[in-house]
Amino acid sequence: MSRQFDRRTFLRRGAAGAAALAVGPGLLAACSTDEPGSGRKPGPGSSPRSGGTLRAAFVGGGASETLDFFNGPSALDLVRARAWHGTLGNLDPSGPDGVRYGVLKGIDLSADLSTYTLHVRPGVRFTDGSELTSADILHSLSVLAGKSMLPVYRLAAANFDLARAKADGDLKVVLPTLRPIADGRMILCQGNFLVVKDGTKTFRKGMPSCGPFRLTEFTAGQGSAFERFDDHYGNVPHLDGLELRSIADSTARAGALTSGEIDFAHDLSPVTARTLADDAKVRLVPTKSPYLVGLSFQMNMSVEPFDDPRVREAFKLAVDREAMVKTVFYGDAEIGNDLPSMGFPDYAESLPQRAHDPARARELLKEAGADGMKVRLTTGPETPGMVEMATLFVEDLKKAGVQASVRELPAGQLYADFATYAALPLAGSYQMPIPALSTYQMSTAGGSPSAFGWKESETDTLVARARAESDRSKAKQLGTQAQRTRWEEGNQVLPVFKPNLNAQAEGVSGIRDDLFEQFPGFSQASLA
Amino acid sequence: MNLLAFVGRRLAGAAVLLVLLSAAIFAATAVLPGDAVSAVAGVDASEGQRADVRAELGLDRPAAERYASWAADALRGDLGRGFIGERPVTEVLATRLPNSLLLAGLTLAVTAPLATLLGLWTGLRGGGADRLVSTGAQVLAAVPEFVIAALLIAVLAVWLEVLPRVSVIPLGGTPLDVPRALALPVLTLSAVGLAVATRLLRVSVADAAATPYCEAARLNGVRGVRLAARHILPNAAGPAVQALTLTTGALVGSAVVVENVFDYPGIGRELQLAVAARDVPMVQGIATALVAVMLAVLLLGDICARLLGARERHGR
Repeated sequence: MSRQFDRRTFLRRGAAGAAALAVGPGLLAACSTDEPGSGRKPGPGSSPRSGGTLRAAFVGGGASETLDFFNGPSALDLVRARAWHGTLGNLDPSGPDGVRYGVLKGIDLSADLSTYTLHVRPGVRFTDGSELTSADILHSLSVLAGKSMLPVYRLAAANFDLARAKADGDLKVVLPTLRPIADGRMILCQGNFLVVKDGTKTFRKGMPSCGPFRLTEFTAGQGSAFERFDDHYGNVPHLDGLELRSIADSTARAGALTSGEIDFAHDLSPVTARTLADDAKVRLVPTKSPYLVGLSFQMNMSVEPFDDPRVREAFKLAVDREAMVKTVFYGDAEIGNDLPSMGFPDYAESLPQRAHDPARARELLKEAGADGMKVRLTTGPETPGMVEMATLFVEDLKKAGVQASVRELPAGQLYADFATYAALPLAGSYQMPIPALSTYQMSTAGGSPSAFGWKESETDTLVARARAESDRSKAKQLGTQAQRTRWEEGNQVLPVFKPNLNAQAEGVSGIRDDLFEQFPGFSQASLA
Repeated sequence: MNLLAFVGRRLAGAAVLLVLLSAAIFAATAVLPGDAVSAVAGVDASEGQRADVRAELGLDRPAAERYASWAADALRGDLGRGFIGERPVTEVLATRLPNSLLLAGLTLAVTAPLATLLGLWTGLRGGGADRLVSTGAQVLAAVPEFVIAALLIAVLAVWLEVLPRVSVIPLGGTPLDVPRALALPVLTLSAVGLAVATRLLRVSVADAAATPYCEAARLNGVRGVRLAARHILPNAAGPAVQALTLTTGALVGSAVVVENVFDYPGIGRELQLAVAARDVPMVQGIATALVAVMLAVLLLGDICARLLGARERHGR
């Protein structure tokens, strides 16, 4: 069975905090960005043609799927909620603030970076006809997100003083920060913060919502059906209806697509995607940078000989990245440079690409007295390609003179016993697409258990300074400096970024325009 | 013979066994490496957050205490809520278990008559037909389910396009709303069951046909269908009935491969997902329900076999 990159993992890793893309206060005054797509209304003569019901299939989470996306772990829970509810905003690397706003008109922040003011877009209506106000946003943010067990929602509480958040009239929410940050927009507008009506406690069919579609049917583990919400803010969807299906098996999703039972298949395995390449009725639409998943190996610095930077460098030089892209992903993946978050504005793209140099790796190992060392790489089928990558890495290591072997755990076990995982000498892992500095702060800073022994208070400080820096170029410089240290001395080998291999029926379009591609939205999608 | 006393005795035994097995399942979840905390709180959660989540899920209590409170609730019909998604376990069982029972039931309905016919035919005839069917059955029994599924898909769904590739059930409906969607899963599961049952029946039919009383019946002029139905089948069916009930009972929870390939909404995959997420209440609830189903099916099988035996005595 193909494993999903579940949302849980995205949320846990991702709780996107920051981005070095700090925005100067001067820019902020004028932030009333409309969505680029908002001008496109359906109508006669407009292309693409409106109407029809789009049917899409996802891995799903079985019977544990829930309408309560604040506590729903599967990717489909968030996809469903994105169709159903309005969002504060989505990350948009090409946008002026690095985000594209939804039910907000914009976010201002005070010169001392201590207060964020959320401006509500006027005239946003719920399905019951009432207008969305600051009270709804406050409730969704401080009550529902604040109580959620999912780390991404906890991140709001980690950066903002939710107890002191208050509504200022109907169209303003004032949100004090716990410490000065320049990148709070990236936290609030990462796509996960969706808005429901003030006072909402339970989630059910028929509750008021302000997303592009209204829910008409939901069966956990099977699917949900929607109809267009004609009073949706911004842009009214082209589609009449939407059906989101759970089909767990990658081959079954592809089969349903080729036999015309669905129009969009999410996250196929590389092998399945390859079988679709020659099908004229179907088009492969892999997610584009930055919506790529990093596949990596963590070296544990508290275990010898990984405490020696030469050994860590040797392991990074030993890996044949191109071979992995070609063999495991049939060329449909990007080469990584041992740093997560490729494609995000704060990613240090100015660092040189690390070469494949087994001879130098051998030398370094000899210098460190670690030639002929024994190591076992532990991994599991948590996302397609992980085990295959580990097998190739072990072969690369053998060529560099390491006595390496691979141990594959059954699905679900790698992360289940976390204490054991964090003590492994060499472990497989993957990184969801989130800005670089927030990834670092979430999973690596402060000697976090998932940092595998990396403890560098200087780098931590650099990242924190980059996040609190309102001068864009200065923030970028600080961020790059921090990532250079990770690149040179870090304990992560990250050879490949793989896309979500999605496929759709010929003629389907507009899904990518909805951003947040790993959890696709359908508000601008249309059928042929 | 008192059938009622027999059933009563067996029911009491099954109840005791159910309690013992539910404890064994709980013990198994307790010794699984890891817990649901990573699945709920996230891999990157701090020690403090982990402790909070562990306390919230009640995982900080001793295993025996957790089992006792689970068992007390279960007696009242409350199997608790899953850790992931917080759905009531009984609700999951109510939506998924009937689908699995349906699949197993239909498989049995296809397998039993076909196996009987083939078993009688090959057992009585022997010769070339027997060798052909027996070899076929042997091959079929040896081929893994997913290969059979792939072959059936290739022929019936992709090439001939007579059956849907995936069992897409209408939202809010049941598999019975789209009988076509049941065809491929049932065919796949029947293939293996049929092969095994045919082989078993063939052997016992051949044995029964060689017995003196069968010889006597033949000498008395009993032939053909009458001989097969009245004299051979009742004596030969015993082992095959037991085997069929065993495989049918097991099918309810272990059709995971077929559920995955055809995306059939059965209970087996729920169990698999719950184990991967260390969702203890879900694993415990589903596994206990499956044990109960298995015990019930076995009991039914025993009753059938007993009734057959009774007929055999009666017929003599």
